[in-house]
Amino acid sequence: MGIDSRYDRRTFLKLAGATAAVAACGGATPAASAAPASSAAAATAAPVTGTISVYSALNESTNNEFFGAFRKAYPGVTVNVLPLAAAGELQTRIRTEKASPKADIFIGGSSEFHDPLGKEGLLEAYIAPNAKDIDAKFKEATGLWTGWYTGIFGFISNNDRLSKELGGKKPASWDDLLDASWKGKLILPSPLLTGGGYIFMATQIFRFNKDEAKAMDYMKKLHANIAQYVPTSPGALALIDQGQFVGCPNWVHDILTEKTKGNPVDVNVPADTGFEVGAVSIVKGTKSLAAAQALVNWSITKDAGDLNVKLSNRGSTRTDVAPAAGAPKLTDVKLVNYDRQWATDNKDRLLKLWQSTVGL
Amino acid sequence: MRSLQREPGLLLALLAVIVLVCVFILYPQIRVIITPGTGYIDFLSGGTWIRSTSQSIQVMVLSTTTAVLLGFVFAYAMVYTDMPWKPFFRLIGILPLLSPPFVVAASYLILFGPRGLITYGIFGQTISVFGLGGIWGVQTIAFFPFAYQLIADVLSRSDARLEQAARNLGAGPWQVFRSVTLPLSRPGLGAAILTTAIYVLEDFGNPALIGGTFTVLPTQAYGLISGFGDLPGATAVSTLLLALALILYVAKIRLDGGRSFITVSGRASSMPRPPVPVVLTWACFVACLLLAVVILTVYGTLLVSALTLNFPNNLSFTTKHFEYITSDVNGTALQNTLIFGVVAAAFSAVFALVAGWLVERGSWPGRRVLDFLLIMPAAIPGLFFGIGYATAFNEAWLDWLDRGVLIIISMIFWNIPVGYQAAVAGLRQIDRTMDEAATSLGASSLRGFRDVLIPMLGGSISVGFVTTFVRAVTTLSVVIFLFTSGTTVATIRIFQLVNDLNWGRATAFTVADIGMAILALGGIALLSRGRIALGAARA
Repeated sequence: MGIDSRYDRRTFLKLAGATAAVAACGGATPAASAAPASSAAAATAAPVTGTISVYSALNESTNNEFFGAFRKAYPGVTVNVLPLAAAGELQTRIRTEKASPKADIFIGGSSEFHDPLGKEGLLEAYIAPNAKDIDAKFKEATGLWTGWYTGIFGFISNNDRLSKELGGKKPASWDDLLDASWKGKLILPSPLLTGGGYIFMATQIFRFNKDEAKAMDYMKKLHANIAQYVPTSPGALALIDQGQFVGCPNWVHDILTEKTKGNPVDVNVPADTGFEVGAVSIVKGTKSLAAAQALVNWSITKDAGDLNVKLSNRGSTRTDVAPAAGAPKLTDVKLVNYDRQWATDNKDRLLKLWQSTVGL
Repeated sequence: MRSLQREPGLLLALLAVIVLVCVFILYPQIRVIITPGTGYIDFLSGGTWIRSTSQSIQVMVLSTTTAVLLGFVFAYAMVYTDMPWKPFFRLIGILPLLSPPFVVAASYLILFGPRGLITYGIFGQTISVFGLGGIWGVQTIAFFPFAYQLIADVLSRSDARLEQAARNLGAGPWQVFRSVTLPLSRPGLGAAILTTAIYVLEDFGNPALIGGTFTVLPTQAYGLISGFGDLPGATAVSTLLLALALILYVAKIRLDGGRSFITVSGRASSMPRPPVPVVLTWACFVACLLLAVVILTVYGTLLVSALTLNFPNNLSFTTKHFEYITSDVNGTALQNTLIFGVVAAAFSAVFALVAGWLVERGSWPGRRVLDFLLIMPAAIPGLFFGIGYATAFNEAWLDWLDRGVLIIISMIFWNIPVGYQAAVAGLRQIDRTMDEAATSLGASSLRGFRDVLIPMLGGSISVGFVTTFVRAVTTLSVVIFLFTSGTTVATIRIFQLVNDLNWGRATAFTVADIGMAILALGGIALLSRGRIALGAARA
């Protein structure tokens, strides 16, 4: 019986494979004809071949086109994408799989998720040729991870409720959120569960020049106004879209995407804000090193940067990539002096400090 | 079942069960628990677990009480009364199990949140569902189906003759219920309370989405992994959960005592149950109807948002979300979900039955240990079950193992408890003389089991199959650490779409997933000629 059901499953999967193959052939024709032109540009050395498995924390809407473009540039590389828009889970997966790694590339998610893996010896260092165009603050010095996109932390507000309940006044600084009129109307992505929530909290520490006591005092006062710590950053956006709450610190690029969908929300960037550096890294033990390196190097090209800006509204770590329409450039907003390495190294300690401060 | 030495087949079956349980339940958990580091002690001395533990217990007591009460009313109505619309209610009794909690919890928020369509839109109230009250309400609806299935199975096997006899001796309907029906359904009730309590303890999705600042153990564990990368701390939380489950288990054993709950002895009678008063029938009908309205509203919201452009801000009708889910990898995901679910459910139901029989009818030493090990997976948050499997079976020498098979195995063993509990509860109601008659006539114990007991345990098999299937179809946390691009499943895709804020596509996917699951269960009910029914109650 065991053999039978296994056989059945195989047949099913074959059928599934056949259907997928037919679909792929239908869709692949234009790509195939376009391939020679772009590969000619990319193939300065011998063409790179190999199969890589990519753990991607990128948005669903970004994955297909982004890796499609990579396949065009490197037709010899087969890319299997494992999409999971939760960088923490991917990080845990890479840890638990260390006995026999199943990923070659970990892409997307703030560098805070990549850096600890590098320290644990689970990443393969690689200084990509194109990394020369990337500022030192956007990459790990020994090449354990390379930053290829940026995200700025801003503020989403529900138009209708903001004008009715708060006189349409958006916060000009993070301190404005301590006003009693915001009580019960604010939400925040959980600092414990989301990269964004943590970056928001670390931003406060840098705002007070690493005076942790002052920052915690701020977080405690803010806590009095917060109705909810939401387990995912996008989940918080949905609650503002629905008008369940009035405002929420969140990622500017994601807020823009929500706005363009026609939701009654708006974005602004309070002064002294923080930002993320989205990273890409190679998992140690990869059997297709050349192909993995090709993907890292390609991710920091201008073409890839332009495409990602178009797909996700995020910024690029390259200075020659223009931001999306309506999106601020890193140089346009007032940023705190965000010490990323310090924020990463002190994450556990600071989160525990925050937990005991607000009593969660 | 007498001597293990005299029956090699029996010994073999027992050894097989023990080996499987050790390899697929015990070993992965040991791998999780022995994560190196001093994190364990640091964590326990930190004391943050005290509050989440007490809050976990608080939620468990509240939600289990209401879920079991609701499950009992529902089961009683289905089995005892002749209220109308039973097939419809059978579907309602299983619907809450059929969708991933993170989608349903979002639907609750849309309806009952601070600006909920019902609470604010209709009643103008800004009550908040966040926190203890919200978790309590949502878990009651989410977990009553487990209680309902287990209790209905036991009630449907209760002996009508005992009740008729009581009535003939002058007892009123209430007295019969209190002194005959209720005491005899205790194994099912105990199993229902135990399983529901453990599932409530382990629940992550609902507290995470509507718990607000109310932290319970599973959300704390998730926070430790996701936020701190603190696996040792998180496993300490997981161990606490197991300890609580062990306490519940011991309490249940104590309560059951050495009583007999036999209701099936000799040839089953064709005597009808004494009629239930008309008033009671209609009260049950109204109660079930109210529950159905709540559940249908929540699920109706999913359907509406699946068919509109951008719910709730743009309500123009569209079918594009459904077009999307049939394209690309999504079709494969639905197909995988179906195959994994059916295969896992079939193996799980059979395995649960065999294990239940070996434990309940056996008298070999150490069977209590096996008994607990088979209930334990219910107390392991899916997250840890997944991490355990990813750690234990992701070794270079095991790379030949197909990931789809590994996912199926994880689903079989993670979902064993309900089917196992149903089998044990069922067996306790069947008089040992039944199978002993077979063995006295020369049949082996195995043959007695196969030819005598199994035909009488159809309900228990059904419970095992259905609950494993629905949990396999809706689990996210176990699969999230195991899936590959070729073995992705519907919940993974839904999770991805929710995180991408594509609520329309996410709900369309959920609706398709639920629809597929209902069709599959319906088809299986037909193929098995009703032996595996949609829901256990076949009055």
